[in-house]
Amino acid sequence: MGIQSITNVCANLQNAARARLGLTSLPNNKYNLALALALHRAGFLSSVTRAGPHPPPQDQLLSFEPEPVTSANVATRRLWVGLKYWDNKPVLKSLKAISKPSRPLRASVADLNKVARGFESAHLKGLNLGECMFVSTDRGVLEVREALERKVGGIVLCRVS
Amino acid sequence: MSSARPAARSIVSWRLASASVAPPSSSRLAASAPSTCHHFHSSTQLAVRRRPRFRNIPAEEMGLVTNQKIDKWAAKKFPKYTPEEMEELSKNYSPEQIAALEAGEASIDPRDLTIQGRLRTDSYRMPYIDDFADIQPIIDKRPRRQPPPDPMARFMNLDEFTEDLVAWSQSLCKGEKTGKLKRLEAFVPQEFKKVPEGEWPAGVRADAVSKYTTYIEDEAFKAKLSTQDGSNDGPSDADVLEYILERSSMTDNNLKSNSSMAPALPNKVPGVAGLYKNAVDPEDRGNDEEGIYQDLKKRTGMTLDQILKITVKTVVTRYVTNQTRLGKIQTCNIIALAGNRDGWLGIGVASSVEFQIAKRKAELLAIQNMQPIRRYEDRTIYGNVEAKISGTVVRLNARPPGFGLRVSHRIFEMCRAAGIKDLAATIPRSRNPMNTVKAVFEALRNQPDPEEIAIGRGKKLVDVRKVYYGGQVY
Repeated sequence: MGIQSITNVCANLQNAARARLGLTSLPNNKYNLALALALHRAGFLSSVTRAGPHPPPQDQLLSFEPEPVTSANVATRRLWVGLKYWDNKPVLKSLKAISKPSRPLRASVADLNKVARGFESAHLKGLNLGECMFVSTDRGVLEVREALERKVGGIVLCRVS
Repeated sequence: MSSARPAARSIVSWRLASASVAPPSSSRLAASAPSTCHHFHSSTQLAVRRRPRFRNIPAEEMGLVTNQKIDKWAAKKFPKYTPEEMEELSKNYSPEQIAALEAGEASIDPRDLTIQGRLRTDSYRMPYIDDFADIQPIIDKRPRRQPPPDPMARFMNLDEFTEDLVAWSQSLCKGEKTGKLKRLEAFVPQEFKKVPEGEWPAGVRADAVSKYTTYIEDEAFKAKLSTQDGSNDGPSDADVLEYILERSSMTDNNLKSNSSMAPALPNKVPGVAGLYKNAVDPEDRGNDEEGIYQDLKKRTGMTLDQILKITVKTVVTRYVTNQTRLGKIQTCNIIALAGNRDGWLGIGVASSVEFQIAKRKAELLAIQNMQPIRRYEDRTIYGNVEAKISGTVVRLNARPPGFGLRVSHRIFEMCRAAGIKDLAATIPRSRNPMNTVKAVFEALRNQPDPEEIAIGRGKKLVDVRKVYYGGQVY
């Protein structure tokens, strides 16, 4: 269910942003958490919080102390992510999954290098102005520029703009 | 041709005779002069003009038109009024009328009447005998009894209108009731008439008030009766209607017109003057005599020089024909571009039955719709943009310096007007001209803004072209 959950997250987040939601929840798993944190690092999300079936209090989104995950409550945990808006437009305008379970797309450092510079490589189109791409590497889910810093390639998850 | 006519023969004979006998006498010349005229009929011409056998005697010779005769006839035909007649007249006419009669008599000389006055017998004479004292509406022109309209008259202002209204209402006031009514002092005894009202004894005062009340009621009753008689004060409905319909609203003192038509409006009607005329702005220095750009100047705040510097071009022309009962009606649709070649671009869409009108409308709209277009390094666009209008998708791609405009001709014109120098474009789907232009405009307006993206994400975005090589890339 690894990449499938990522594609679901992509669709969920794009729908939530287009619906102008302030807070939405994702299934709690390691892959989703890694992607959510990568998006947060890239500035697309305002907050990533693990909580129960109900959203955490909005004034405590950043300082919320989640209760420890136990085998008793792990099934009810959700990742609550805050969406950002600027100038009446969502910061996360589009989020498109690239890899899917039936066709994971892997990119080497050289490919990523070209793609990050805006050129087409492998089966990837070059990045446009302000566009980000997230890669699942053995160092975790990284934005393409972070992956290039670390000189790692991997499965290309999604492109965000 | 063998038989010569008598006249021709006489001419020939006269020519022969005049050649042989010199010089010819004047009587012979006079006698033969008519024969030199060309004749139009075949009867023999007379040698001399026929004279009557009996001489006529002019009237002057008979002494019929001497001054004495004329005066005598005039005195008999047009006698002066005798004293008896004057006496008779004075019974029927006032002294002023008698004076007018005498003045009229004195103004006409009977001698003139005798010599000149006669009844016309020509074919253009009047079909009736008239001294034109009465106006016959069918025959005569409508009399102009009113003086001509006042050329200086203007519409009344509020004060003049109020005065006029008051004057009108006063003219209708037939009787003044309030001034004639008795006052309370009239009902007190004689010794209190000079005393002020406050010092009257209570009994006297009450008595006077009761009498005064009765008097006022009587007067009111009388007034009511008189109104029922119809002798009412104030304007009747007819007066009000006349005031509304016929009272002059100009400062001509309610001058009546000779015509039943309303007088024509003056040249400058306040509130309307200048509205329907293109005011020529002296700042334009005669470049906009037709006033085409006056409205645009007001809308945009630009001067005419700035407007005329703008590049305007028609990029799409389409003719649409509507089949109606009255025939085919062709309409022209036009899209025009306007740009200052330095980052401003506008498109205007207009349609009209007339090509020229549609073109002008579209161009003015294009200038009015001009907006700033974001340009990267003043030569290309930011990133790759895509826009879709109906089935037309336009993809614009930023390109490096020196790439040029590798785009289709309409997009080329748009880029040139906007001052974009490096661009690539593809139109993968429908290439409808109108939608292409609209989609390109849409795409150019919706370019991503790095600053906005940076603010939205809370990140610092850096243009590496400006970082590497010390920023010396452009």
